[in-house]
Amino acid sequence: MERILEEIPSFFTYWNIIFLLKAMGVTLLLTLLGCIFGFTFGILLAITRKTENLYLLPLRILVIFFTEIFRRIPFLVTLLLIFYIFQIFQITDSVFLIALYSVCLIATAYIGEIIRSGIESVNQEQWDAAKAMNFSYIQTLKEVIFPQAWKVILPPAFGFFILFIKDTALASQIGVMELTFAGKILNNKGFSPVLVFGSILILYFILSFPLDRFGKYMEKRIATDRN
Amino acid sequence: MGYTLIYSQIYKFIPYLIKGAIISLQIAVLSFFIGMFLGLIFATIRTFGPKILDRLVVIYVTFFTNTPQLVQIYFLFFALPEVGIMLSPFYAVLIGMTLNAAAYLSEIQRAGFISVKQEELDAAKTLNFSIFQQVKYVILPNIMQVLFPPLSNHYILMTLGTSMAAIFGVEELTGRALNINSDTFRSVEIFSITALIYICITFLATFLLAIIGRYFFKAKIRIIQ
Repeated sequence: MERILEEIPSFFTYWNIIFLLKAMGVTLLLTLLGCIFGFTFGILLAITRKTENLYLLPLRILVIFFTEIFRRIPFLVTLLLIFYIFQIFQITDSVFLIALYSVCLIATAYIGEIIRSGIESVNQEQWDAAKAMNFSYIQTLKEVIFPQAWKVILPPAFGFFILFIKDTALASQIGVMELTFAGKILNNKGFSPVLVFGSILILYFILSFPLDRFGKYMEKRIATDRN
Repeated sequence: MGYTLIYSQIYKFIPYLIKGAIISLQIAVLSFFIGMFLGLIFATIRTFGPKILDRLVVIYVTFFTNTPQLVQIYFLFFALPEVGIMLSPFYAVLIGMTLNAAAYLSEIQRAGFISVKQEELDAAKTLNFSIFQQVKYVILPNIMQVLFPPLSNHYILMTLGTSMAAIFGVEELTGRALNINSDTFRSVEIFSITALIYICITFLATFLLAIIGRYFFKAKIRIIQ
């Protein structure tokens, strides 16, 4: 305990704090970019799965395979797999990009499911009504389905975003300079692990807690809107 | 590209990997059930307990749900020896996962408590049900129907989460894959097979849970979403 107290002034130096804040930025950036791409591709997947055209059947099966597979592989294994596949093809992307690709893949699979269940929460009558008014598929989605579905989609999608802030900690394993990796470096420098991992835990908490609160607030707001 | 995939070198390691998968499942099942038990206690405290305990549980839950499991286990594994508690990697991971699961599962179970309506209990009382009958015929079926899908979902997530035990040197599925990787350097082959085993064990789990849910709790779970 005394050792920890002694270390505090030498731990919270200007450079260490800058170092940790930068790492925090990387964590946030990785999650944010991954989820934005995941959301975009997720919408595409969900739209593809709801089509009824017979010629698009192979595409739908492909989408089902994609979502089922990437929701059943641990993030760590996905990371390592993509890391080594890139090595085979000798693509020299930075580890940050590799982690970003893996986050995108997994986020696409999960958010695609969230969006699809959001679309399915809209009554069948709405689809029928849109068809009766001769709306095209895209028009139906844009004018009828999504304005109603986003209320169901947004809270869990936001929840997933918060979940991934924490899951990107695994990206430290391939050497992405994010918060957990920064913690490991500081720990290797000889600072007390209680201090180092304690502050890393607190920094994650600072990152995730306000967003969590905001998500719950949003959920409540939307729920009261709906009734 | 100059690299050919050679799976034949890996085949002999598949039984070794599958034994690793069993260890993964052990960690997942153990931490899930202990976590569920702890979560049940927490959920009971939050619904019926005194204010102070309720506050403490809220703090516990917000802390554990807002920080990464990996860093929590890092903390257990590296920081506890400072105060003289040495945990083996397996127990560090198990305790970390259990504490984390308790936080999430208490939230899920609390939602189940809320789902039992007072009117139903009143109706049961009017029919002169004993407490035991009330629990058996009114409360449990109700709670399980609401809780079963999210609980089984969380179990799948936890099975995937066990892969982070590899980072601490536990010889479960991912850990063994890393071992073979440093032996043979057939990385893509090994990790693709590892991924396949993960897909199989989670599929099997979903399948079994769906059957159990359908026949015992009238909870509808789709195997393919």
